[in-house]
Amino acid sequence: MFISENRRKTISIALVASVMLFTTASFAKEYIATEVIKNNSNPVFPANKEKGIDGGVVYKVKDNMYTVYAINNQEKKGFKYGRTPTKNEEKAWDVDVMPDGTGLPEGKGSVEQGDELYEEKCSMCHGEFGSGGKGSRSTYPTLSIGEASTDSLTNQRINPDVDGPKRVIGTYWPQASTLFWYIKTAMPFPHPKSLNNDEVYALVAYLLSVNDITIDGQELDDEYVLDRAKFLKIKMPNEDGFIPKIDGPKGAENIKKFLGNPKNYGNGTRCMKNCIDGEPNVVRIKKEIHKYEPPVSVVRDLPKEITSSKEVHPGQKIYETSCAVCHATDAMGAPNVGNKEAWAKKLEKGIDKVYENGIKGINAMPPKGGTSLSDEDFKKAVDYMIDNSK
Amino acid sequence: MNKMSKASQELDPISDMSIAQSSRRDFFRKAVVYSASAVAATSVLSPVKLNATDDPAIVEEAPWGVKLGEPITKNYYGMPSPYEHNNIRRGTPILASGDIYASITMCPIHEQEGIITPNGLFFNRCHGGVAEVDPNEYRLMIHGLVEKPLVLTLDELKRYPSESRIHFIECPANGGPEWRGPQFNKIQFTKGMMSQAEWTGVSLKVLLADVGVKPEAKWMLAEGSDNSEMGRTVPIEKVFDDAMVVWAQNGEALRPEQGYPVRLLLPGWEGNLQIKWLKRLEFSKEPFYAKEETAKYTVLTPSGKAIQHFYPLEVNSIITSPCPEKPWTDLKKGDLVEIQGLAWSGQGTIKAVDISFDGGKNWVEASLKGLVLPKAWTRFSYMYRYEGKPLLLSSRAVDDSGHIQPTIDQEIEAVGIEAVYHRNAICTWEVTKKGEVNNVHIRKS
Repeated sequence: MFISENRRKTISIALVASVMLFTTASFAKEYIATEVIKNNSNPVFPANKEKGIDGGVVYKVKDNMYTVYAINNQEKKGFKYGRTPTKNEEKAWDVDVMPDGTGLPEGKGSVEQGDELYEEKCSMCHGEFGSGGKGSRSTYPTLSIGEASTDSLTNQRINPDVDGPKRVIGTYWPQASTLFWYIKTAMPFPHPKSLNNDEVYALVAYLLSVNDITIDGQELDDEYVLDRAKFLKIKMPNEDGFIPKIDGPKGAENIKKFLGNPKNYGNGTRCMKNCIDGEPNVVRIKKEIHKYEPPVSVVRDLPKEITSSKEVHPGQKIYETSCAVCHATDAMGAPNVGNKEAWAKKLEKGIDKVYENGIKGINAMPPKGGTSLSDEDFKKAVDYMIDNSK
Repeated sequence: MNKMSKASQELDPISDMSIAQSSRRDFFRKAVVYSASAVAATSVLSPVKLNATDDPAIVEEAPWGVKLGEPITKNYYGMPSPYEHNNIRRGTPILASGDIYASITMCPIHEQEGIITPNGLFFNRCHGGVAEVDPNEYRLMIHGLVEKPLVLTLDELKRYPSESRIHFIECPANGGPEWRGPQFNKIQFTKGMMSQAEWTGVSLKVLLADVGVKPEAKWMLAEGSDNSEMGRTVPIEKVFDDAMVVWAQNGEALRPEQGYPVRLLLPGWEGNLQIKWLKRLEFSKEPFYAKEETAKYTVLTPSGKAIQHFYPLEVNSIITSPCPEKPWTDLKKGDLVEIQGLAWSGQGTIKAVDISFDGGKNWVEASLKGLVLPKAWTRFSYMYRYEGKPLLLSSRAVDDSGHIQPTIDQEIEAVGIEAVYHRNAICTWEVTKKGEVNNVHIRKS
């Protein structure tokens, strides 16, 4: 798209020329050779160096040296440390799910059940129908654009009126197995590993449904029940959207070939004189970002506020681990810590009502915020939030 | 009388004398109502009188020189001088994927000296917060397509023979906000998603020798025990090349932010592949398709196809002095000044770095200085006579694998502007007439 046909030709001609130059050059001469090469000289891997899967150099141990590191070359084998894991231990940790279904447990869940779970446990961050975080939570990932089209992936925001590519589940993710695995082990964000397999099936069903993905030609309406057999039939719209091909016996070879060709990801030329026609085109910052935390300073002075040994609030630690994910900002109407007005309003009905609402759950907040805190600890965290919002 | 108490006796009179001098000085300071310099001038203890052209910092006694310092027992784990409180990691809410748990704080590379980042300043990227792992409950499991699955405690792991290597770790999103133009006017935010340490641990080759990886195993899943259960698929070739399982950085246990007690080290490769709080290595025939190698950390190109399993950080460099945070506003015309910076490549060893003063039209080769190590930050240096003229200061690195740092246009030609990750184009600072330094991009006219 960006390289014109003419330019391709120039590059390939230059490549041939530089191959001839480099293959005869010794290490020291290489520097001299590169000095005189002008525009469009392309890199060439020195013939004496073995290339790795990443297109880089593989360094070998020679005379008890690994590059400049001296090493102990005695045999290092026959250790007896550790033990064999039990089958049950392996099962406990081996919960990854692979594209061919390896690791995918039995279970089932409907779109409707997923919808309810999503509302309760996910929407506060990911937005309604997976539409993404709003306001102060706008950095939380969008999960759906409402359609399973990969069309936007060729979009390049070269000017302001072009929309960027949409990289969500239905438009970008190559495998549904990733979705199951990730939800099972890492979601919901503040309480991962709290969903059972049926709940994960339900959430996956819901997310596929809002992404407008069909399974075996069938639309996922509210009554649709996803189970293991149906899951294995899912084909993600962007399954073939990735290069190089990593599956099968040639996977590693494909990667080596791809990364071994720097044209695939951009490479420079070592031009030394008159490398630009005319004057360089200088692009300056249009709208500078100033949101730095903490603010930037290089001054060498004594800190203005020396943190005193202020007593730590008994609810602070509980708040940080169990409540901050929602209450640090004003997501989904959750009053954020420091918002005097919002908390004052909550307190109008008395502190006991605030405790009660929190423990039973209110609006988008599930009972105790979805935590398993004791009433006592929960109240301490509420006290902390209120004390810091006065 | 033992030696110790004798020594104390010898020390004591000195201390007493210092206190006596100190209080006598206080007496003078209190008694004299003139200016500070007048106090010094009348001080009988100053060896010389303060004249108008003299520096009080020299002629007057320094306050810390006339009293006892802090007791040596003050910090059993040493802290930087309080005057260095601005040399810290920083973040920006713009780069969070969520909030302060799945986010990043960046390394103040404008204050970086040499090539080793102090442990407290190492950039900190997490996908579910910094896990607090109890080392007594730590277990590493190695299983899947192996002859003898293995579980190790931390103490057992550390019984394996160790090696120490100096390598950078860089987040592939370093510089990522710049694809569509310059945005941050701070080096900490344009290039601070990287740091370097000396890592100590066991080579995976050694660790796996007795486990017996089966010939059909082509991939290794590395998985963390943190909130996000961060996982990535590693090809077997890297496992048996230079991969390590490490438990120390710069001579002490890994910091929690770096995966205490154990992380994977894959020299030169994407930071997120180097799994922190490592719990499990599973060998398989096919790749695993973890979330952070599919939904994220893939490089979308203009064809609509995304590059997956893009492991190495390509050859790169940045001038750290001057930079926006450390400008040349104090220099005078004719001053001799060192331009220096960092160059690195995940595909090899830095071979050369060129510097341009005119935005890439003409280049001169800089000197490398200090240790030149594979897959490691390498310092470059160039002595320059400051002329007080505006400059467009760029650096371009070359490594021994044959890769050359591309211009912005060369990189965009290959991958477009929606790649998010793996941006290694040449960086340029605009030095103004006053010596201020701004982040700019040089493009084709």
